[in-house]
Amino acid sequence: MSNVNATTFTIVVVLFVIVTGIGFIAARWRRADSMMHLDEWGLGGRGFGTFITWFLLGGDLYTAYTFIAVPALVFGSGSIGFYAVAYTIMVFPVVFIFLPRLWSVSRVHGYVTPADFIRGRYGSRGLALAAAFTGILALMPYIALQLVGIQAVLTVMGVGASSANTFVKDLPLFIAFLVLAIFTYFSGLRAPALIAFVKDTLIYLFVLVAVFYIPTRLGGWGHIFGTAQAHFAAVSPTTGKPLGTFVPAAASRGSTRLDFASLALGSAVALFLYPHAITGTLAARHRRAVKRNMIYLPLYSVLLALIALFGYMAVADPVTAANVKQTGNAQLAVPYLFQHMFPSWFTGIAFAGIIIGALVPAAIMSIAAANLFTKNVYTELIKRDASPEHQTRVAQWVSLVVKAGALLFAVELPHTFSINLQLLGGIWILQLGPMLIGGLFTRWFHRWALLAGWLAGMAFGTLAAYNVASPAASHWAGSSDIEFGHTVYIGLSALAINLVIAIVLTPALKAVRAPQGTDETLPHQYTADPEDAPAPAPAGVGAQPAG
Amino acid sequence: MTQATPRTPRSAIAAHPVTSAAIAILVAADIFAVLYVPLYARVTPRWGDFPFFYWYLLIIMPVSSLALWLAAFLQRRLTVPAPVSEAGREDAR
Repeated sequence: MSNVNATTFTIVVVLFVIVTGIGFIAARWRRADSMMHLDEWGLGGRGFGTFITWFLLGGDLYTAYTFIAVPALVFGSGSIGFYAVAYTIMVFPVVFIFLPRLWSVSRVHGYVTPADFIRGRYGSRGLALAAAFTGILALMPYIALQLVGIQAVLTVMGVGASSANTFVKDLPLFIAFLVLAIFTYFSGLRAPALIAFVKDTLIYLFVLVAVFYIPTRLGGWGHIFGTAQAHFAAVSPTTGKPLGTFVPAAASRGSTRLDFASLALGSAVALFLYPHAITGTLAARHRRAVKRNMIYLPLYSVLLALIALFGYMAVADPVTAANVKQTGNAQLAVPYLFQHMFPSWFTGIAFAGIIIGALVPAAIMSIAAANLFTKNVYTELIKRDASPEHQTRVAQWVSLVVKAGALLFAVELPHTFSINLQLLGGIWILQLGPMLIGGLFTRWFHRWALLAGWLAGMAFGTLAAYNVASPAASHWAGSSDIEFGHTVYIGLSALAINLVIAIVLTPALKAVRAPQGTDETLPHQYTADPEDAPAPAPAGVGAQPAG
Repeated sequence: MTQATPRTPRSAIAAHPVTSAAIAILVAADIFAVLYVPLYARVTPRWGDFPFFYWYLLIIMPVSSLALWLAAFLQRRLTVPAPVSEAGREDAR
């Protein structure tokens, strides 16, 4: 630890300790009679208003990994990285269409997870199991990537990076995660909700300072954009193609526009199919809190756009560019940029913001995965009469297991592997679209047709992603491939296959009178807004509303 | 689904066709403005030092928010012939 800056390190540690304290205090915040109910531990009592929901969802969706990976992609490939900006703009009109319906029906029936809804809508345990499986599978690498984000910061800070011993090298990461695991265990969703305030204050602060201050050091925005434009137009000697694009290119120059648009659309639809996003949504108290957040959350997208521009700043700053080149890891672009541009105390604030920014989503994701496992796997297959208290106990332990697994991912496997898995996660989670979004609007689909479509989409998406090659890697090189001569996000093509199969098989299955399953929901429940109604008592999945 | 039973209230869309269409157009335009990349995949005209592609994405965010706010506002007017019937209150208890 020879090259650790003492000021930076101290500030990071102090802020981390403060946040840890908040994490434990959160257990008492808005205290309920008993924490031992999934509505309490797993959904924070379903009592968050517009304001807290805004912080919670903001902390949940705009993760530390995003803050590291998006500028890294911009740094490496140029404008394609801005698909993330486009998608976070598009996501709100897209989910405006279906999310309030999901909130309403989940509130009326006491659903905790998206799979609960699928179980109730189609009366199908198999389909719910498929949804839970997909959700957990997609969340694991996502949590691991939050750790990768922390590692990027720690590496640049010089903490433990020089040690050859894995354990010593990753000791700070272990500590951070141990703390996270313990306060999530006790406080449930309340911990990330409360910590999100600190996280966002820090992140808004350092991003705003950075966008006004760094350009003055780099010769202004004109110079930054000019350097980037020239840089990405230069032809790479290894591939014979330009290094990247400054704006998405038209068809004549190897179209990246369709790729850009399909990535953005696919990611926008996928975002609120992720269980952790739904967990954050279902914790809201009112239907209007959900809707209002669709209106206010884009403020975070402004932040993301500014953060994406850090990628160009890193290109324009020769020292940062050289540092990144030396390590060969574009994910270090933002940490190096801050370290070079800011005085050490402010670097400490920024780094702490990123580290805490990783803890919030990691906590919510592990809670979402724990809810899914408890409600849709454990209670469904292992112990059907589990009491609410028993369920919560299981969920607490599962949240620990999930995080331990993610830690193993981040430490033991090469980072490219986690990133690939996360790309796959997006493709996988999209396959829940027909059953979840479709189910919110119509009961026309046959449950077995949906299951067949899901299976086909998962299989096609995985295979197609496996076959993507690049000069650097023979497999898993990206999340887009060529369909009918156009480069398209694999998630969307897999979703199209999924949907076609579901549409074709539904009339066939209905013709042979395959059992449809019972639908426990009623049309008006999708627009219901039970004002301040107590969280419904039934703890079991598929409990009938006592009418 | 069978034909309208007495329980099913008159659709809000049928009751307010113009408002419903306005909401649909607002949301669809919001998505289209970002989804149709050729609309903004260009360097000029610049705004200050910002190439078009970049300032467009920044400007469209508040515009998109505003459109959704308007859509939500219009939706509140849709719910006047409250479809929340006695069955709705029963479930809410």
